[in-house]
Amino acid sequence: MKLRYHFFSLALLLALYLAFLAPFTAFMHNKPVAEKLGIIPRAEVLQYLSADQKQLVAASVVAKVVLYFGGMFMKNPAEITEPPDFPAMSRTIHAALKVDPYNMDGYYFAQAVLVWDVKQYKIANDLLEYGMKYRTWDWSLPNFAGFNYAYFLKDYNKAAQMYQRVAELTGNAASISLAGRYLQQAGKTELAITYLSEMAKGARDPAIRKNFQIRLQAFREVLEVEKARDRFKAERGALPARIEELVAAGYLTELPVDPYGGTFYLEGDGTVATTSKFSIAGGEQARKKGK
Amino acid sequence: MNSIIGVTLKGIFRDRVFQGILTAALAFLAIPSVATLSMRQVTELSITLSLSLVSFILLLLAVFLGGTSLWKDIERRYTFSVLSLPVTRSGYLFGRFAGIAIFLVLAAAVLGCAALLVVAFVSGGYPPDRPVAWGALVAAIGFDALKYILLVAFAVLFSSVSTSFFLPIFGTIAIFLVGGATQQVYDYVHSATGQTLPPQLRQLASVLYYALPNFSAFDLKVNAIYALPVAGRGLLLTGGYFLIYSSFVLVAAAAIFSRREMK
Repeated sequence: MKLRYHFFSLALLLALYLAFLAPFTAFMHNKPVAEKLGIIPRAEVLQYLSADQKQLVAASVVAKVVLYFGGMFMKNPAEITEPPDFPAMSRTIHAALKVDPYNMDGYYFAQAVLVWDVKQYKIANDLLEYGMKYRTWDWSLPNFAGFNYAYFLKDYNKAAQMYQRVAELTGNAASISLAGRYLQQAGKTELAITYLSEMAKGARDPAIRKNFQIRLQAFREVLEVEKARDRFKAERGALPARIEELVAAGYLTELPVDPYGGTFYLEGDGTVATTSKFSIAGGEQARKKGK
Repeated sequence: MNSIIGVTLKGIFRDRVFQGILTAALAFLAIPSVATLSMRQVTELSITLSLSLVSFILLLLAVFLGGTSLWKDIERRYTFSVLSLPVTRSGYLFGRFAGIAIFLVLAAAVLGCAALLVVAFVSGGYPPDRPVAWGALVAAIGFDALKYILLVAFAVLFSSVSTSFFLPIFGTIAIFLVGGATQQVYDYVHSATGQTLPPQLRQLASVLYYALPNFSAFDLKVNAIYALPVAGRGLLLTGGYFLIYSSFVLVAAAAIFSRREMK
């Protein structure tokens, strides 16, 4: 009797549990971004809370952001209903690096993803320079900072200083003059393409690699348009007003496709721009406006 | 005292604590695959996870073995029969402590070997930027064990005054948390921003810093993970600090336990 009673209770509870599982899993899966990423306490508080497990806490906080980004970014762009919360990711990574200033994953993620989407270049470089104080042997941090100074901030002196540091750390003096010459001669887009190609080659995480490849594809399209624009100007003495003119005149075989879902256009000074502003969120907005 | 050490160790093994550790150590098997989630520091992450696992298991052992050993004896009235033997109360207390300390060293050695194997395996597949600092890794595990032995001394101190297991368990956990933060609080209070705090508060923080244990000194994880050089002088000073501090806590515990009324 007693056994049957227990068996019945267990079966009932198991059935209830199974019935609960589907809505519970769906609720957890669709939790809002802020709740999923979690409210990370201020770095100073996190430092005290993590006791003797600072490196573990920092690594798990970074992993949380990378998993969130991966989950978001590996989706089909059309499936993304809500743009990734980049400022929240940035705050979280900064907090993790305060707790463990040696964590390379944090700097790498900040440089690979956040610097392009959050667009706070000065803060990004402050973070890298903070990391250089700790990872004194690591040439990749000054390499990242050098690119940011040259590409985003157009501070070529600072960029040269960073590449000098790369050369000292790698023991490769030739790269100083190469980097210097390169910065002066190369166009902005070519600089980005070289850098992104190198980053894409070294990317192990599939979401990060895909992120680089999409950006690289966008920049290659831009470079094609820029080359066509320059030939147009050299031959006709004036800038084209629209990209369609370049196609019509035969300088471009077809209209460039923005992998972020936006539309390329020429600004008044001939700069190639896109309605997506080179971001998934921007592409999403551009698509909505288009509709 | 030797017989008490032997009884303590036998008791721990009889309670199947060692089997428990081996079961928990199965988590080491998951570390290589978890570490590959890292984008740029797979080996470093495997060291972080291994050291954290060792540390976590040692913490549980220190809190529960240290916090319940004496209490269990008193609760089951074993102390009466033990203390009727030609053993002083202090000898009994030191024997209990030494038994647990030896067990912690043994557990740290076994878990440490597992950690070294995991790191060797992962670093073979994903060579880190800088070669793994094996010496620092061993030192980190060794000093972690010393830290938890010091924590056991506190658990014994709390057990010597307490009639239940609440104070030994929760008191030891509190000491663990506070001991990990004392250095940071001291550094903050003596930093430029800390100068704005009221002077009494700063003095209180300094007094607490000297009185409470400083577990940050035993934390060599960052050196082991990122192959940073370990200061030999720092190790010597920390070793001395451990000997003096744990002896002080144990003598205090023995003094209290000797005067305790057993009912």
